[in-house]
Amino acid sequence: MAKTKGDGRRGGSLLAGDGQDGLIHRTDLIVAFIVIAICGFFYYVTTTFEEVSNLLAQNVPPEFFPRWVLIIIVVLALGLPFEHVVHSKRGGNIDSERSERVKQMPYLTAGLLFVFIAAMPYIGTLLSTVGICLALPLLWGARRWRLIIPFALIFPTIVAYVFDRILLVQYEPGLFGITF
Amino acid sequence: MEPVIEGLSLVLDLNNIVLIFGGVLIGVVVGALPGLSSPMAVALLLPFTLSLEPVPAICMMAALYCAGTFGGSITAILINAPGAPPAVATAFDGYPMAKRGEAGRALGLATFSSVFGGVFSLVVFLFAAPFLAKVALKFRPPEYFALAIFALSMLASISGKSSLRNLISGGFGVLIGTIGIHLTTGVERFTFGIHELTEGINFIPVLIGLFAMSELLNQSQALDVAYERIRTGVVKLPSRADLKLVWPTILRSSGIGTFIGILPAEGSTVAAIMGYNEAKRWSKRKEEFGSGTPEGISGPEAANNAATGGAMVPTLALGIPGSGTTALILAALIIHGFRPGPYLIRETPEFVYAIFGAMLLANIMFLAIGLIGAKTFSMITLIPRAILWPAVFTFSIVGAYAGSGSIFDIWVMFIAGVAGFIMLRHGFGLAPLVMGLILGKLVEESFSQSMIMYDNKFLGLFESPIVTLLFVLTFISLLWPFMGPIMKMAFSHPRSRGEGE
Repeated sequence: MAKTKGDGRRGGSLLAGDGQDGLIHRTDLIVAFIVIAICGFFYYVTTTFEEVSNLLAQNVPPEFFPRWVLIIIVVLALGLPFEHVVHSKRGGNIDSERSERVKQMPYLTAGLLFVFIAAMPYIGTLLSTVGICLALPLLWGARRWRLIIPFALIFPTIVAYVFDRILLVQYEPGLFGITF
Repeated sequence: MEPVIEGLSLVLDLNNIVLIFGGVLIGVVVGALPGLSSPMAVALLLPFTLSLEPVPAICMMAALYCAGTFGGSITAILINAPGAPPAVATAFDGYPMAKRGEAGRALGLATFSSVFGGVFSLVVFLFAAPFLAKVALKFRPPEYFALAIFALSMLASISGKSSLRNLISGGFGVLIGTIGIHLTTGVERFTFGIHELTEGINFIPVLIGLFAMSELLNQSQALDVAYERIRTGVVKLPSRADLKLVWPTILRSSGIGTFIGILPAEGSTVAAIMGYNEAKRWSKRKEEFGSGTPEGISGPEAANNAATGGAMVPTLALGIPGSGTTALILAALIIHGFRPGPYLIRETPEFVYAIFGAMLLANIMFLAIGLIGAKTFSMITLIPRAILWPAVFTFSIVGAYAGSGSIFDIWVMFIAGVAGFIMLRHGFGLAPLVMGLILGKLVEESFSQSMIMYDNKFLGLFESPIVTLLFVLTFISLLWPFMGPIMKMAFSHPRSRGEGE
């Protein structure tokens, strides 16, 4: 006998996710909550917009359009926790891209990039890009020094030179005043 | 006829030919590299083109767009890793054919089909864009408002996992578009006292962050993925027997691809999958699909490249992007000081024909590149990721910085990248966000103007039959993803339903 989706059920819970069937998807409930919270915050911000007369606003005040967009997003977000039911009926899996936990590396990569961008006003754009081209391969486990060191030194320098001389974009010189 | 000749002569300028060739090379490389995509390449190229004249800048991007769609097929066939999403369906039969020692034949079929699809859609573009623009000249703000709403509603059916999430993404894009000074009243919105935000969010860092940095974070999770590359001999044009077999498929897919491309928001990926499905449906040898049949390669390849020309029709004629990459080209047009839409075709027709010429030239160039250089381009997959992605990030930083010379824009790029990574993980599309970002201003402006026209009475909009028609289409488009499966279940044969259970 063919195994149906219901066979895998680990209980008649209302919440779905983590291998359980149910009406409300656990992760999407949190996602919907976050989306609605963001919208709530921005809706609050629209109440702080400067008030203008109807004559100036021509009956469409500055908060009118963003508020409608926010309301539409909230209405759509309310459907998120239940969307998995439609997906599973179609034979799809709404969790395919997030079935595995996020590995440590994206956090470390984002952290490293954050540090170099934050350091940019002090060490300059050129040194920052050299640092990224050196540190990122090392963080990702590459140890081919003969490749990494020349790449980290030459590539960002060529890019900086092209931007400076051909596209006339002045890099942030930083405290060391490094520029072409 | 004069604008056509003028436009084509603009393209045939030596500098422009070199730039178009550069665009084609970048496109094929980017398309061939898994993880890098055409939208990312266009986003990264955008700051480099700021110092160029508008014609070569947009022509280079259009050439990159065509070539990027084709480039994905090289790695789809040789390493079973589609370099770009539109080439996903090409791998179904391309890789099995390459595995049995016919990589040259598979690449030849893919190249020929791509070029045919691309040229076919350009011919349609040549006639359809001016016609559509002529119709659109009668459009007033209410019609533009309804059209933009229809385009946003099409996000519900755009490729991706979830209609709901695409619409939410599009909504956030529209919301981001409202940041800055409100045009009618001069009131600052969502600026939080940051003076860099008063003129609105700069498109370039957002686009680079969404497409390049989010992918960098994504790739950092897959450092241990290794590809097995199949050796290829000489790439050959399809034999007479192959042509006899595939020509109906190529013609059908070219038509499908062009039509799908013209629909607002739909793109090459949808076209390719439909091209593959239709090739299989009409084939006499359905059972051979998936094991390396020529129709399985020609179907998606002709369709995905035909969609590129098709997608340019609404982009240039109406100012409504036909796909994710054309949304970026639209942003580039705006940055270069153009107002895409019917006035573009009426006032600067030579510019539109120059884009047509650039895309035609790009197709001819990648025919040569595909036949001569496919073997070489497959080698680029050997570039270590630990070198490739820092290089992409270097371009991202300088690209985000170049537009305004401000580190603030690098932070915008960083935030957009992290947000894009989280969105992708939870199934929210990035292309819908970009479309929302670009269409948002048009929606708000045309709505405000319409309300003034109709004395603030929303129902007044329905006095126009075009508006009514567009709203009906919007309604159908929004409900279709939900009604489609229900109708399928309702009208399917009871016996077949029983078998399904």
